[in-house]
Amino acid sequence: MALLEIRNLHAEIEGEEILKGINLTLEVGQVHAIMGPNGSGKSTLAKVIAGDAAYEVTEGEVLLDGKDVLEMEPEERAREGLFLGFQYPVEIPGVSNTYFLRAAANAVRKHRGEPEVDAAQFLRHVRERMELVQMDEALLKRPVNSGFSGGEKKRNEIFQMAVLEPRLAILDETDSGLDIDALRTVSHGVNSLRSPERGFLLITHYQRLLNYIVPDTVHVMVDGRIVKSGGKELAVELEESGYALFEENSAA
Amino acid sequence: MMEAVAEQSSVYLQDFQARDRSAEPAWWATRREAAMQRFEAAGFPGRKVEAWKQTRLGNVTQDHFRPAQVPGTLSNEAAANLAVVEDAVRIVMVDGVLDTERSELERLPDGVRVRTLAAALDEDGGVAEQHLARHADAEPHPFLALNTAFATQGVVIEVVSGAAPEQPLELVSVMTAESTGVAAWPRVLIHAATSSEFTVVQRHEGSDGAAYLTAPVTEVIADANSVVNLFHYASEGDKGSHLGVIHTTLDRDSQLNAHAMHAGGQRLRTDFYVNLDGPGASANLNGLYLVRNGQFSDVHTWVRHNADHCTSEQLVKGVLDGKAESVFDGLIQVAKGAQKTDAGQENRNLLLSPKGIAHSNPRLEIYADDVKCGHGSTVGQLDENAVFYMRTRGISDQEARGVLTFAFANEMLDDMALPSLQAYEREALLSLLPGEEAVRKLL
Repeated sequence: MALLEIRNLHAEIEGEEILKGINLTLEVGQVHAIMGPNGSGKSTLAKVIAGDAAYEVTEGEVLLDGKDVLEMEPEERAREGLFLGFQYPVEIPGVSNTYFLRAAANAVRKHRGEPEVDAAQFLRHVRERMELVQMDEALLKRPVNSGFSGGEKKRNEIFQMAVLEPRLAILDETDSGLDIDALRTVSHGVNSLRSPERGFLLITHYQRLLNYIVPDTVHVMVDGRIVKSGGKELAVELEESGYALFEENSAA
Repeated sequence: MMEAVAEQSSVYLQDFQARDRSAEPAWWATRREAAMQRFEAAGFPGRKVEAWKQTRLGNVTQDHFRPAQVPGTLSNEAAANLAVVEDAVRIVMVDGVLDTERSELERLPDGVRVRTLAAALDEDGGVAEQHLARHADAEPHPFLALNTAFATQGVVIEVVSGAAPEQPLELVSVMTAESTGVAAWPRVLIHAATSSEFTVVQRHEGSDGAAYLTAPVTEVIADANSVVNLFHYASEGDKGSHLGVIHTTLDRDSQLNAHAMHAGGQRLRTDFYVNLDGPGASANLNGLYLVRNGQFSDVHTWVRHNADHCTSEQLVKGVLDGKAESVFDGLIQVAKGAQKTDAGQENRNLLLSPKGIAHSNPRLEIYADDVKCGHGSTVGQLDENAVFYMRTRGISDQEARGVLTFAFANEMLDDMALPSLQAYEREALLSLLPGEEAVRKLL
């Protein structure tokens, strides 16, 4: 059984169809990248899989470990092991990072019928994971993403992923707007978490990310459809030729 | 003909005239009569009166409320909640009547003198004669006028020059379940002499089911260089009306730190008057109103910069649940010549339901040119992006909303100087939240 199976997925927002029949199979242990021009529907796909109520799914299926996630609330999807790294992480004033993470970790444990995490043990785990993304410990006490720089917010997403250890992580343009140091840190975090028990779906606008995280499969998305899939060499091809070729094919 | 007669003379005037006031000192009788006349001339404010047009007075203007002959019995819950502030000296009123047995008028810290209103009125040329109804009564406020006309219960507090007692005073006013039809007119006068520092907590607690009216008036006169910390908490019953006034007069270099919370009640309005009369005086007002389904809350502030180099800060937040309505109406007035004024005002409202209505009216009247004045006002719902973000981390929709609401409101409780009162107010906040238990775990 595939970790993620998307079949003929159609979704719209305010009556406008954005996803026009997506098919994708991601096996556990794999890293897939979705590339595409602005407005092709990449971020919509990420949000629809995570359960953003702003979008309406009109057709198709999304299966995580064989379970239909479209029937689940966003929090149930998360408890089933889905993680979405946001393109624009949200600031939550008044709620500290530590409390937030513990609440999230406990929600998953409760779902699995496990006891709540021990505070001291959890803190050790959190410290370990901070090192992975070289995050300043002071950020733990700060409210979630409040006053964080763009790079700190993205790091915080990878940090949360590292703490929560999901089955499937979807990273929505986590590389956008990062300087090279931050990109290296974020990539290091992802590479360290690659495992035969986990899958990644990287959504990116820039080929550069794939110099640091080598994907098993690259998909090209144009106008709400995946128009081509291939190995990592497809990303290089794209870098040279651009999306224009695919856009023409799609229009035809 | 009957109706015409009724219009000419209110039931309150009839009550006033029927009272035996022979024991009152002449100066007090004069002030009372003036107040009664002010009320009688203006009556209850209609919708055309600007300061009252958004206030839903409902049954308050229809029903006739009278002082309790005998105060009711405290419920077990009310009795258990009499002492909230740690280490405080308590003064208790029940159904508007001073409860001398539950009050600790004999156990006062050094530097503070507290007398009953009746005792203070007896003193010739004392603080009451000097200040009582001399400052507040300049305001055209119908319930303030009625309070002056009818108040017999209350306390007069004097803090002597240079004194800084560590013990706060906790004034608790309880309305019992038997208080339907009762009017409570608590009157408090606080005089803080030069360079003194003093903390007072006023808590108003009402029982559900009783349709009463409480209209407390607190007058604060802060002499030069003094500091007054004023905490005001009101949690009235689901049929109770609270229409109160806090009036402060600040002399040079004095400081007022005020914190107010409306935790609930069918109808609550507090008018907060701050007169910055001496150079270098400062006032810091922060407030939080929680308005439950079917309830109404109104905070009016009247901050007047009458002297130069004064500062004032107002930050008031509101959370409205269900079909609730609130008013924040905030004045910053800078008189001609009040140069170097630094004044700020913020009002932020969070509607938990689309049925809630929050009115927010900042009013700035600036007649000086070298001033810094800022204001902001928002009415909004929870950030759905933040809710979704939390849900993608496994936190339930209800918990996410509870946590975000708590975080919004708790900012007003974060810096409170009295931890015991802070914990008490936090409980009131938590009881309003969706997903209360989960939010508790996060604290």
